[in-house]
Amino acid sequence: MNVVLFDVALTAYILAAAAAIGSLAGRRDQLAGAALLLTQAGWVCHTAAVILRGVELRRLPFTTLPEMVSLVIWAAILLDFWVERRRRVRPLAAFVLPVVLALGLGLPSGLRSIVFEGPVRSGWVMVHVALVLVGLAALVLNFGGALMYLLVERQLKAKRPGAGHNPLPPLETLDRLTVASLTVAFPFLTVGLTLGALSARGAGAGVAPFDPLALFSVLMWLIYAATLLGRVVGHWRGRRAAYLSIAGFCVMLVTLSAGALLHGHLAS
Amino acid sequence: MSDMRGEPRGVLFVAGMSHRTAPIELREQLALEEEKIREILGDLANHGVLQEVMILSTCNRVEVYGVAAVPGEARAQAFGRLGSHRGLAWRELEPLLYTATGEEAALHAFRVAASLDSMVLGEPQILGQVKDAFALAQATGTAGPVLHALMSQAFGAAKRVRTETEVGRLAVSVSYAAVELARRIFDGLAGRAVLLVGAGEMGELAARHLVDQGALPLYVANRTWSRAQDLACALGGVPVPFEELDATLVHVDIVITSTAAPEPIVTAARARAVLQARRGRPLFFVDIAVPRNVEPAVNELEGAFCYDVDDLRAAVESNLKERQREAQRAQALLEREVVKFAGRLQQLEVVPTIISLREKLEAIRRAELERALARLPGAPEETRRVMDALSQAIVNKVLHAPMVALKDSSRAGHGRRLTEVISELFGLRGSGSAE
Repeated sequence: MNVVLFDVALTAYILAAAAAIGSLAGRRDQLAGAALLLTQAGWVCHTAAVILRGVELRRLPFTTLPEMVSLVIWAAILLDFWVERRRRVRPLAAFVLPVVLALGLGLPSGLRSIVFEGPVRSGWVMVHVALVLVGLAALVLNFGGALMYLLVERQLKAKRPGAGHNPLPPLETLDRLTVASLTVAFPFLTVGLTLGALSARGAGAGVAPFDPLALFSVLMWLIYAATLLGRVVGHWRGRRAAYLSIAGFCVMLVTLSAGALLHGHLAS
Repeated sequence: MSDMRGEPRGVLFVAGMSHRTAPIELREQLALEEEKIREILGDLANHGVLQEVMILSTCNRVEVYGVAAVPGEARAQAFGRLGSHRGLAWRELEPLLYTATGEEAALHAFRVAASLDSMVLGEPQILGQVKDAFALAQATGTAGPVLHALMSQAFGAAKRVRTETEVGRLAVSVSYAAVELARRIFDGLAGRAVLLVGAGEMGELAARHLVDQGALPLYVANRTWSRAQDLACALGGVPVPFEELDATLVHVDIVITSTAAPEPIVTAARARAVLQARRGRPLFFVDIAVPRNVEPAVNELEGAFCYDVDDLRAAVESNLKERQREAQRAQALLEREVVKFAGRLQQLEVVPTIISLREKLEAIRRAELERALARLPGAPEETRRVMDALSQAIVNKVLHAPMVALKDSSRAGHGRRLTEVISELFGLRGSGSAE
């Protein structure tokens, strides 16, 4: 049943993404309204699917990589609702939903494969997973904000007629969104990754020096650390910070793929 | 005029001239002050040709909206009367007038109220002017149920156009386009510091618009110190010495330049140094001067956005085109409103008959009740109440079927036939259906 609900949620997200992009391209408020409604409906189904999965399998519903990605999607959409409501960054969904879909459609059907292996199922691992999850969800928003920033900046620099009736938020709002999401994501990611490494070592698995998953995780962390440091110390703003956010997100996708394809478990 | 029910059935019409059909020399002669319009409305009402009438008189249009059995005659009378005030003969005015009746007239009224027929598409003043014209007709007692239905629907439709389309949203002046662009960069304009360099009229206007939107403080720099002081005083700003331009550029957000300098004042090298000191905060240059005061290369620098007068004009052009595109959406919306209005009009057709029928039966009931109670002089209060309730219930039951039939027939579009039948059967006079 939870699998069916998850598929329903994913279908709603697909339709919502199409409506959100359509509303942006065609500047139609009705489509934006439909996108919001579909996303809300999808998210409710998704929540029900996660709870039901926990009940049906009698375990925490985020112990496999696909389950964790599903929760990243869930949390990213929750954050999207919050940002759209509080900061009035209306068309954010048009940028966040396609990312969510790219993640969601890459999941194995029924969220079956790639289970945690062996003895790493400790309480610390759960905390590690939960922290990384929040961090990654905020980074999805960070990516969406950075993408929007570059788009608006390009329009303004190119002086394209029509920039005046753009439904995208002002440049400064988008810059603030990327800073805020990164500031939220980074501590979660740092503590989460450290706990992951310590748990793995404690469980005797250790972290191999050339473990691609660990390597990409560290690379991702370094990029985000550099971005944050550049913002705080070097007063980087706008374009440079946006490019780094996008680079960091690409590495995050590679990290997740590495987790799925190479390892088969979550030792990050 | 006061009682619409006694009048023969009329047709809704509009007749008028606007910036599209008549030159300003003629329009200005017909644009009359409120008192004169009030007087003309009263005259037209007393004459009996028009059952309802309202006059919309602005600098861009003079229109008569009315209900009359013969719209052509009503039009001639109304404009004959309007023209007579300035010695204009009907023959001179007639070729410049447009006329529409029925649903076309309703669509025209909706287009006017929603500013789709305005000289500057989407300008907001016209709705207020239409409201004032209708209020005047109401105050004079020349607006009846048809104009009431027309105007209330027109106001609702205009509001929908304003909220559901972009017809009135985009800037169509160069100085306001600068404000709109600033909104694309900054998260709100409240508290944004503005620097005005030079004393050009357009630059001053742009600065005023920004200040109106909450931008604050406003610094004014000019090569002539006294000129800077005067302008700052006029705009409520702070004068700054021209020599301190760099220091001021570091902490303002928006710079408007409109000096007559032959060479750029803000070069790319100067801007780069300023941007470095700003630690990445964006800076928006609005360069209204010709020749330009800000080097075009400044726009290439990260964090700097530079728009010259041609860029702003291009934005206005694009906004105008967008308004026209949006006007097509608005037109479709108004056409749907006309269909709704036609439905309302059909219902209006049966309302007088419903009222007459109810009044007639109520009069019979009261008369018969009084007669019956007269025969029971000592009847207790309880009995009187019961008899009153009984008679009322009978009347309601009798009325129910014809009422439903009338409403249904009006919705189906043949309310008129039934009103005639009911008037004939119940002997109703002056129900609006008797020709």
